[in-house]
Amino acid sequence: MQIFVNTKYDFVKWRFHAVAFSMIVIIIGAALYIKNGVNWGIDFAGGANIVLKFRDAVPMDKLRSDFTDASIQQYGPADARSALIRLPQMKKEGDYAGQAVAKLNHDLNPEAATGKVDLNFNGRDSIAELLFTADPDHKGTNDDARKYYGNVAQNIINKRSELGIFTNVGQASSAKDVTTGITGVLRDKTFAGAFNVLNQETVGPQVGKELQQKAVLAIIFSTLAMGAYLWIRFDLMFGVAAIVCIVHDVCVSLAFLAMINGEFSLNIVAALLLIVGYSINDTVVTYDRVRENRRKLKTRATLEDQLNLAMNQTLSRTILTSGSVVIVLVALILFGGKVIHEFAWILLIGVLAGTYSTVTIVPAVAIAWNNMTGRKHDIAGPSSQRARAEEPPRNEPKQQKRRAV
Amino acid sequence: MNRNLWWKIGLIVAILIVFSVAVVPTKDNPEPIKRGLDLKGGTHLVMRVNVGDAVKLETDQAAEMFKSQATKNNLPVPVTHGVEGDALTFTATIPASVPTTEYERLAKDYLPAFDMSRNAQGQMVFKMKAANASAIERDTIDHAVETIRNRVDALGVTEPIIAPESGNRIVIQLPGVDDPARVKDIIKTTAQLQFRLVEGSPGPDAASALASVPANMKADVEVLPGTREDELGRATGVEYYAVRKTVPVTGTDLKNARVTKGRLGEPVIGFSMTPDGARKFGDLTGANVNRYLAIVLDKKIVSAPKINSRIDDSGVIEGRFTAQSAADLALVLRSGSLPASLTTLEERTVGPSLGRDSIRQGVLASIIGFVALIAAVLVYYKGAGINAVLALLLNLVILLGMMAYFHATLTLPGIAGIILTLGMAVDSNVLVFERIREELREGKTVMAAIQQGFQRAFGTIIDTHMTTIISALFLFQFGTGPIKGFAVTLLIGLFASVFTAFFVSRVIFDVVYRPEKRPAEISI
Repeated sequence: MQIFVNTKYDFVKWRFHAVAFSMIVIIIGAALYIKNGVNWGIDFAGGANIVLKFRDAVPMDKLRSDFTDASIQQYGPADARSALIRLPQMKKEGDYAGQAVAKLNHDLNPEAATGKVDLNFNGRDSIAELLFTADPDHKGTNDDARKYYGNVAQNIINKRSELGIFTNVGQASSAKDVTTGITGVLRDKTFAGAFNVLNQETVGPQVGKELQQKAVLAIIFSTLAMGAYLWIRFDLMFGVAAIVCIVHDVCVSLAFLAMINGEFSLNIVAALLLIVGYSINDTVVTYDRVRENRRKLKTRATLEDQLNLAMNQTLSRTILTSGSVVIVLVALILFGGKVIHEFAWILLIGVLAGTYSTVTIVPAVAIAWNNMTGRKHDIAGPSSQRARAEEPPRNEPKQQKRRAV
Repeated sequence: MNRNLWWKIGLIVAILIVFSVAVVPTKDNPEPIKRGLDLKGGTHLVMRVNVGDAVKLETDQAAEMFKSQATKNNLPVPVTHGVEGDALTFTATIPASVPTTEYERLAKDYLPAFDMSRNAQGQMVFKMKAANASAIERDTIDHAVETIRNRVDALGVTEPIIAPESGNRIVIQLPGVDDPARVKDIIKTTAQLQFRLVEGSPGPDAASALASVPANMKADVEVLPGTREDELGRATGVEYYAVRKTVPVTGTDLKNARVTKGRLGEPVIGFSMTPDGARKFGDLTGANVNRYLAIVLDKKIVSAPKINSRIDDSGVIEGRFTAQSAADLALVLRSGSLPASLTTLEERTVGPSLGRDSIRQGVLASIIGFVALIAAVLVYYKGAGINAVLALLLNLVILLGMMAYFHATLTLPGIAGIILTLGMAVDSNVLVFERIREELREGKTVMAAIQQGFQRAFGTIIDTHMTTIISALFLFQFGTGPIKGFAVTLLIGLFASVFTAFFVSRVIFDVVYRPEKRPAEISI
């Protein structure tokens, strides 16, 4: 199968339309950021995120009254009975998530005060310690006994992970290796508490600020490094065009993030850095081709002609490569789950923007640069008749002896 | 086939074997590629060590030393004061009747770590030398790391990471920990245990406790809170005790601490002393029979029992513990006290069930993406597509094998990174294949087209990889946690893809289209 063979699209003709289109997208994004502000994620804004899974319906009223300045959302589908609590940044460093969870535990699990172990809130060690102390299977107090009960406790936790949360103590008894004696201890000394902590994060003000700085620096430095690399490998014109192209791709991705009101998190920074490194690939391939053609072309060719030729020659490769990454990203978007959803979306937009900017923005910048610097990048030709006779013009294939299958 | 080709095939097979072996789980190594905290569940903590605490302590001790040396030299005792907000400095007010040279001599002999000066009020000002302060800070961090490591080891966490970082920070990663509240308590407890004599009698507030102390002792005591109990040992409120400032015996004198059962079967902590500690403890208790001894933990009084007789090398601490809290306290006492308090700067805990969901979805999405990718390549390139798929599979094996050898951890973004790397690795194959097609269109023979295709695409492949490597390096440098894992997979994948797309794919072509057979057609 072959597509885009021997195409002769006049890409450079459309460059002004493309620049205008990109500008509109970026301006819309910028306007959204000005209007709504940046939706900084917890990594940068600081504060705390807590995801809890509840045994019964999510006690929204209780959560709203306890955490008045928090934003509280349902997490996942309604039947998951999970909630995301987002606490805003505090001025002082401290363990906000831990304190909030401890308070909820105190309020929602009155049984905890009686000294019973909460099978949903506590972890393996607490259950192991309880069983070891009670020793229902008469294993003694040696290390083997500790190991034995530790193993049972781990099985109980695994069972909980499988179910999401215990709704009653009986479910814990159905875990692997739970004996009648252990069932007795579980029945008497444990209870299935109101919630299970899926995830808790606290980012203090200092760390948040540092991460913000690091993220911005990483994106700026890697963009500059990319430009420098292309300057060394090719020339200044391409280096500058590459930087403009990267800035364009990052801005378009950010504009998209604003449009979906996405959260600016560490994962998004990772995606942007990846876009910086990856979207430039198409540009590199095109430059390579321009350079290769320059060595061969003996006929007169303006930079516009050279760019058009190279872009058409590499078009099928560009489409295919972007296509293969897009396939993967679509799979990640559809099936990858909540955590990498925005990450995959931003990458997708970045990759598409990268391909688009390669055939539009890069030529626009390069041609403008060439015009301003006295059209040094044109090939002067037409060279003498002799040269033309020696080298048959390219892209006019001789009669093909062997066909591709 | 020529010998050259056999060599190359041998090399590829060898690499395949070496990396496959690394990925296969064995009995000794059931998890060759470690899962990161976001997949396995666990806790990531960044704590700041408040080194100022340790410096302040040193300054306070120096002030005490200055006073006690004055007493020993029959000089009037100067009044010392700490300076608010400055842990490095204390001032000493000297009685006007005594020549200051005497005190200056003392300072020279006993406070070499301090610079001495005079302020406008004629007080002596002692400021710790910067070199000494930074040495204390360094020691404090090392000591804190050591103590936290002891505690984490005692908790039985497998493969924890405890590493100091710049800015007086310690990064703690505890894979598999599913009870962050308890672990944080254990890590953060300073566990500074002190045995101090009680003066006067306890009172319901600080003032009344202080009032019961004889006037000449008031300067030497400090009032600390404890729990008031009724006859049955139930907590009924807070009670304040005036205790001596001097600390004759501390937690460092303990040899061991274990949970044992008290008279009523309640959990108590039995401790034993080091030989040196036993001597100090014996002196203290022997000289103060029938007085009360406060057991102070982190500036709170755990209990204040009466000394019935001289005690040398062992004793118990009672104090309303549950089985869990007694076990935890024994653990922190065994592992030693922290030299300074800790502040949580960052915490990320993933519960075991969330990790389970993430890994299931991540792997599912990756498999679907990979299958779709393979299908697309096969449809578009047919025979050569098989070549590309083989190269991709080898790339995957190398990538996973390298991760196992480097002990890199697999994170959720890391899974995305792997599948994305494969998507990008296809790029190299595409570049080569498109070039071969171009050469064919220009009328070259199959062998010449393959040769030219690889040769011409090489420079481009290097360039595209270099740019991505640059951004992966920045990702690694600036990223934290899972993002670093992502950068590592990306970097390894990039190196692997140069090898597979360029070397392996070429060898496969060479094997299939051998020059001696003069192939007339190529499936591409």
